[in-house]
Amino acid sequence: MSKIELENLSKSFGDLQAVDDVSVSIRDGELLCLLGPSGCGKSTTMRMISGLETPTSGRVSIGGEDVTDKSAYERTTSMVFQNWALFPYKSVLENVAFGLKMRGEGKQERREHAREMLTRVHMDGYEDHNPTELSGGQKQRVALARSLAVDPDVLLLDEPLSNLDKRLREEMEIELKEIHEEFEKTFVHVTHNQDEAFTLADRIGIMNEGNLVQVGEPSEVYHNPKNRFIEEFLGDTNFVSGEVSAVDGDGAVVETDFGATIEFPLAADEDLSQGTTVTVSLRPEFMSLDAASATDGGQKTAARADGNGSNTVVGTIDTVLYRGSTIRYFVETNGESMFVERSVTEEGELDEGDAVQVSWPAEEILVFRPDGTRVET
Amino acid sequence: MSVTTRNSLLDRVWEPFRQQPGSRRALLLMAPLMVFEFFVFIAPFLMLLRISLSKQVRGLPYEAGTFTFEAYSEVLSSEFFHGLITYSFKLGIIATLLTVVLATFYAYAIWRSEGLTRTMLLFSVVLPLLTTLVIKTYAWVPLLAPRGTVNELLMAIGVLQSPIQLVPNTTGVIVGQVYIVFPYATLAVYSVLSTLDWEIVEAARDLGASRPRSFFEVVLPQAMPGVAVATVVSFAWSVGAYAAPGLLGAGSDRTFAIEVETQMLVGFNWPVATALSAIMLVLMFVSVVILYTALNSVGGDVSHGA
Repeated sequence: MSKIELENLSKSFGDLQAVDDVSVSIRDGELLCLLGPSGCGKSTTMRMISGLETPTSGRVSIGGEDVTDKSAYERTTSMVFQNWALFPYKSVLENVAFGLKMRGEGKQERREHAREMLTRVHMDGYEDHNPTELSGGQKQRVALARSLAVDPDVLLLDEPLSNLDKRLREEMEIELKEIHEEFEKTFVHVTHNQDEAFTLADRIGIMNEGNLVQVGEPSEVYHNPKNRFIEEFLGDTNFVSGEVSAVDGDGAVVETDFGATIEFPLAADEDLSQGTTVTVSLRPEFMSLDAASATDGGQKTAARADGNGSNTVVGTIDTVLYRGSTIRYFVETNGESMFVERSVTEEGELDEGDAVQVSWPAEEILVFRPDGTRVET
Repeated sequence: MSVTTRNSLLDRVWEPFRQQPGSRRALLLMAPLMVFEFFVFIAPFLMLLRISLSKQVRGLPYEAGTFTFEAYSEVLSSEFFHGLITYSFKLGIIATLLTVVLATFYAYAIWRSEGLTRTMLLFSVVLPLLTTLVIKTYAWVPLLAPRGTVNELLMAIGVLQSPIQLVPNTTGVIVGQVYIVFPYATLAVYSVLSTLDWEIVEAARDLGASRPRSFFEVVLPQAMPGVAVATVVSFAWSVGAYAAPGLLGAGSDRTFAIEVETQMLVGFNWPVATALSAIMLVLMFVSVVILYTALNSVGGDVSHGA
């Protein structure tokens, strides 16, 4: 049993409130990613789970046992550090065997055990090397083996992949996921990288300014961000502002500054008054882009005479950016610039200077109040 | 090639070095120091050696032009000189042990402190270096005197019924000597600790090492180069101690350095004084080599420093 309960956990360093009243229940065997910009308190939260940081207030319990007053070496957690923190005067094998030595395991036994761990992370053959001779990826594997060797109930990973290059990071993400499945431990992974969180996590906890803003499965967080901060943090999107011009039983209309009218359904119990200034997020991956004078056999809706309409706007392609598997089109519409993302398979269909019509599905619109809270749609 | 006049002088100075291969360049750069060392250390030492091989004579420091091992046999066979050498080494070992342990803890404290505390701790180490040796050593006399601060304090808190003698005796000498070398030892250990990553201590604790265990397992092995330097400096200085035993010691607290002075200036016996110096130099050299080798084998590669 290694369920983790954080109850009203707070930590302040002098005047700085690093973590502010965080409560979350991390399930046994789950891989939870704490995601947030730097300085949001995610590492401090993790360090309080490990015992390396003492909370100013609140409780931490692991496996049903209150460990708030226990020091790091008494806890059954093990941490992989951002800079790996390998012991430079010890060999790779001694590094991995360190925790077992502290636990009083015999020399023969712990060396055997450490060797197995090194094999598991594909680092066999490096036993006698000094950690300083290893590459970043190799250090990463050794650090992982060292933490796993003590058979912790909870493995804590503090941005362990942030010092690796993209390709290596993606490789390690998959490997971490495999290790998580194999060892069936509770993993808490801290990262500021959205892709990493979405790839790895069973659930993602998003933190901002010391608060845990939202906890949920990746798809839940992606489709239903709780507030504007999360929507902004999770990925690039088009934020447009406008004024609510009409509200009826099941929908609302927003008039934007650049001429487009945004219509969206409104949740039954949602209270949105006319005249409110709202911010609307139009996600580039859900938007469609058609040549304004499309003659495509009636498959796509032709642009209306005036161009603009409900959930659609006309403009000119300003810039085309190739981003590998996707292409980003920046469209200039009445002084407002927005961008649309398309698969690279559509390459060449549209070019800079082309007149286009941009439209978006009403059900994929996210609307936020001036204070950043979400309008339920 | 420089275009500004400000650099052109430096360039001109650098010019002869530029064309030399690396090893020769290093040698050239070391040359001034080597010349200096030759004139202030090697040459006088050779003269000293020559004097130590001269005949002792009444009324004169030594008899020039003579050659004899008389002074050496006198020093090596005399119980008095044996006692002197033993005392010097005992003082060296005790003072070094105390200094290195205290300095390591103090350096650890500086390393772990932050902001103003760190500045204050560092400053208080450096502060004694701003005073001359004699004054700061002699300052211990009023502190350690029978009616001095330490005795009064110990009596006030009830540890002592009546004052104990702390000075002039061996206790005073050790206190004074530790005080003299402490800043150098602390700075040597601190300079290495300050390059150390605190995360490795956290990693050790996270893996189940208690506070003392994490210190001995991961901090000390890495701090070893600094500890080695601190040990060698403390030892060499304490064995050759002069100010502390001279000012805080009793008549029996005679180190070889004090005896050398007596033989030179009071006894007017230069051959014995120089022979004693030469023997001590050899003994010191051997012990430092042994010490360094031993420390080297304990913790990492000492020669690579920080």
